[in-house]
Amino acid sequence: MKKSSHQERRRDDAFAERIANAICEEVAVEGNPYLAQASYCHGYDVLSLMDKLSFEEMVLLLLQGELPTPARRELLRQLMIVLATPGPRHPATRAAMSAGAGKSDPRHILPIALTIMGGDHLGAGEVANSMVFLRYHLGKDPRESLREQMRLQPKPQEGSDWVVAPGFGSCFAGVDPMAQQCAERLLVLPGAGKALRWGALFAQALAEQGLGWRMPGVAAACFLDLNISGMTPWVGGCLFQLLSAPGLLAHGLAYRLKPLNAYPFIRDDQYIIESDAQL
Amino acid sequence: MHNSDDLLFWEQQRGLIRSRKGGWIVGKGVYCHHYSLMDELIGRVSYVRVMVLNATGRLPGKRLGNWFEASLLCTSWPDARIWCNQIGAFGGTVRVSPAAATMAGTLAADSMAYGVQTIVQSQQFIQQALAARRGGQTIQEIVEAEFKRKLGKGYVTGYSRPIASGDLRLPAMERIRKRLGFAMQAHLRLAFKIGRYLDAHHGEQINTAGYLAAFLADRGYSTQEVYRIYASMVSSGVLACFADTDDRPAEAFLPLRCVDVQYTGKPRRVVPECVDEGGRS
Repeated sequence: MKKSSHQERRRDDAFAERIANAICEEVAVEGNPYLAQASYCHGYDVLSLMDKLSFEEMVLLLLQGELPTPARRELLRQLMIVLATPGPRHPATRAAMSAGAGKSDPRHILPIALTIMGGDHLGAGEVANSMVFLRYHLGKDPRESLREQMRLQPKPQEGSDWVVAPGFGSCFAGVDPMAQQCAERLLVLPGAGKALRWGALFAQALAEQGLGWRMPGVAAACFLDLNISGMTPWVGGCLFQLLSAPGLLAHGLAYRLKPLNAYPFIRDDQYIIESDAQL
Repeated sequence: MHNSDDLLFWEQQRGLIRSRKGGWIVGKGVYCHHYSLMDELIGRVSYVRVMVLNATGRLPGKRLGNWFEASLLCTSWPDARIWCNQIGAFGGTVRVSPAAATMAGTLAADSMAYGVQTIVQSQQFIQQALAARRGGQTIQEIVEAEFKRKLGKGYVTGYSRPIASGDLRLPAMERIRKRLGFAMQAHLRLAFKIGRYLDAHHGEQINTAGYLAAFLADRGYSTQEVYRIYASMVSSGVLACFADTDDRPAEAFLPLRCVDVQYTGKPRRVVPECVDEGGRS
């Protein structure tokens, strides 16, 4: 091997000697340190949780380290139901269908679709940004916040939705009825808190502009109202991806069983190559 | 109680990384299979040749490197109707990062219908076909055996492709092969013969997967090596389709009306009061 002539020195950064984890404790089998005899999640014997917890309680236990109150559990449970099915027209669902129809390895359907669900538009990025927005504005007058946002984020030119604040705005030039109805249902639950209430007032003010809740905003408000320690905006964004997984997977797998031509392939006369891309 | 000898293998790996590939020796250099990246590769060897080195442990010569370069240009182009490219375009329309969209589309092309797996399957077929031919089987017998293996579906991987039959890339790759001075060898010669048979009897022709697989089999590349070399072969076209939709307004790519999605499931019904063991009641 030839030695490089360029000067390079190792830095003296100190690194941890071992991985640290406050979530899961494993107790080794006597005589085989590579096998766990028992596993504890935030102190609870995992096997003993099997017949005691619902999945949403387990998710919250993992994220916050404590079991949730019934009110928070119910808030997440109901949100999980609606987020589990982003609908067949969401680009992430269609990425799942495209992977299924295209006979991609079925194990890749979920990673592909969840990646597309990570976007700043109707995805994990918008949820995280909406949580940042809501946290900053919670103590403010919603109408004043709206005036401020309209200055910062003026109405775009035609051909684009007006996302006046992350999680709030138009969808296909209108108010998304599913997001409004979902927010209304969640708002009356005992677990609804400051974020959902403030978001509802903000959405009310937006209605005059023909704008309202977008689904990432509803999820962001719920995640904030879960009020768990460690619920940073990006935890919320990632949780949004996780909770969308069942619907994405179902649509992708359904197409995996169909022939390649069961998924539309745009005709040549509908595929327009614009001037700067022509040969 | 386990014998400590049973755990010896894992004990030997514990806390260590063993690399047959190379690495960064701080202050000395970066090494890929004993080549100094800074002194022996950068500026002298193409990206594609180093990628093949990393995938296989063997640095292809400049001539073969040029062939690999051409083959990779053939395997990806910016048409957003192709499934992997469409996923990249969906990524752009909802504002994921360029890396995430390119990865998602690249992952999609790990497919049995198109993409890298078709090259691998084509290579497995042509290697078995050449062995069978040398064992005395006719091309008709080889093809019929493959049809039977595919449960009578009437196709041979490497000789059928979605959307079109035949392949415009073949004349280009043949031109490159001749210009670079690579002789026609046994796998490729047989691949063309099988293609002519299938064209005459079943209307299918050899495609790029079949061509690349046979050429690389002739050069001693294994199916495992081919899978690795072409693992990200569609990334360029996926990235292009991502960039196109990322440059346009969000959700401008193939928006759908609700009625554009046909529902074929159960009719509308109400949630029952209780659920018993046998299902909803």
